[in-house]
Amino acid sequence: MRTSRLRSLWAIMYYLGFIPMLRNPLFIPFVFSSPFTLLFILFVASGGTALPFGIAGALTMVTTELGLFVGTDLASYKIQNKFQDMVVASPVSPLVYMFGVALSELIFGTPALLVLFGLMAWHGASLATVAITMGVVALLWVTTTSIGFFFSAYAPSTQNAFIINGFIATLLSVLPPVYYSVSKLPPVVVPLAEILPTTEASSLFQGALGLGYSITPVLSFAVLFVAAVFLLLLVSFKMKWRET
Amino acid sequence: MIALEAVNLTKRYKHSRRPALDELNLEIEGGRIFTLLGRNGAGKTTFLRIASTQLMPTSGSVTVLGLDAVKDAGKIRQRIAVTPQDAETIYPLTARDHIMLSLRMRGMEKAAAAQKTRAAIEALELADVADMNTDWLSGGLKQRVIVAMAIATDAELIFLDEPSIGLDPLNRRRVWDQLARMKRDGRTIILTTHYMDEAEALSDRLVIINKGAVVAQGTPQSVKESFTRRSIRVEVGSSFSEKDLEPFGRVLTVAGRYRVLTDAAGAKSLGEEAVARGASIAISPVSLDDVFVDIVGEAEKGEEDEN
Repeated sequence: MRTSRLRSLWAIMYYLGFIPMLRNPLFIPFVFSSPFTLLFILFVASGGTALPFGIAGALTMVTTELGLFVGTDLASYKIQNKFQDMVVASPVSPLVYMFGVALSELIFGTPALLVLFGLMAWHGASLATVAITMGVVALLWVTTTSIGFFFSAYAPSTQNAFIINGFIATLLSVLPPVYYSVSKLPPVVVPLAEILPTTEASSLFQGALGLGYSITPVLSFAVLFVAAVFLLLLVSFKMKWRET
Repeated sequence: MIALEAVNLTKRYKHSRRPALDELNLEIEGGRIFTLLGRNGAGKTTFLRIASTQLMPTSGSVTVLGLDAVKDAGKIRQRIAVTPQDAETIYPLTARDHIMLSLRMRGMEKAAAAQKTRAAIEALELADVADMNTDWLSGGLKQRVIVAMAIATDAELIFLDEPSIGLDPLNRRRVWDQLARMKRDGRTIILTTHYMDEAEALSDRLVIINKGAVVAQGTPQSVKESFTRRSIRVEVGSSFSEKDLEPFGRVLTVAGRYRVLTDAAGAKSLGEEAVARGASIAISPVSLDDVFVDIVGEAEKGEEDEN
């Protein structure tokens, strides 16, 4: 049974993640153009000094988009392709399907993440720091993927899912202190920014890049962990597998 | 063996006043091809989705392969496969990728999946396009790929929701051949269709559903024969008005011509009237298409009269 589940997981990842990436490598820069454009603007406008903020911001935004795109993919497989109908009426468990689709999106985004990890290392981050950063990326990915799952379950159309997820991506990774320090915000909005997992993740990335932690690292980890667990639980309770 | 049994199956959607299924009772024998006929919105897809464990019923029960569709959904899912209505292929996968994905995600080993994929590609004559991105294929080819995803599996019971939609007559027959082959292998096929010739050619048994309830069921022949009061179809030319024809039987308008469904006596009288008028008529046995229009039309007429 376990082998069968692994085969299912691998099949979903391979056919929905690897194959699209290999057949359409040019899609990767198109899909992740926004985070890298913002990184580039910061780099040029600051004469290179704000590059670490750009890297921290791009890491946060790429991970957020990777998670939210899962919601768009799921909406498409459910509403447009009806592939999810075939999966529901098959031995594939909801967990394997969701995990498979989420990993397929992660595979698609791996080149973008590798570029950013490379930039981090080039900027002087140690291997240990890069490894911790990967852990933060994983926590943020679980959080944003859960948000993507949640909205895909309620999206009435694929177009709707695209618009909602695009809006949430901006709300989570452009407006909050992701490409800049929390200290730049007026004190009155700081608590609001600090409840966002993207703010916490970016603060950890900024710290890892030697910019100093604008929020206590333990608090950032705690907020990210709680957000990931809470949203995962919410999704597992609210996810519509068999429709009512 | 009974493959599927529905007892008083009812489904009410939140925002609809009328139930999609209204205490529907149905028994489907295993190793057969069973067809659900009905107008758009009659409840065919709702029934298929409940029986294939995709949708919860409001009340009543469905037993699939001896298992309860609500409580034992997990066990049922090991033994069924589905082709949903209006399914689309996934970009940028090829036809071969689609079939392999369907088999591999069900846990099949790579070598076995590859072999079954080759067989399905050959059976549905997809070899020339097997390794092309499905986005480049015609609608009919895409539909064959979607059907292949279900029929390549080892499922004992296969649900096909309008599998031949968009297929040309030759390709429809290719799909029919595969369904017939699967039946010979002892598998059960439950399908919905709007094509009466398909239902007539393929089905061991069929059911006509109207507004969520069964209005006729049996073999295609027995359904036709049960309407002996209108077993003859008379095609009439323009020398008759609808009012002229009403005394002879049920009058249908098909492509601007009148068609009268009647019994032997009615056909004889109408023939005499045509001779008297010097008009031409054509007499033939009723088709399933006529029976469908008659039954569903009558049911709707009855409802209008009640209102």
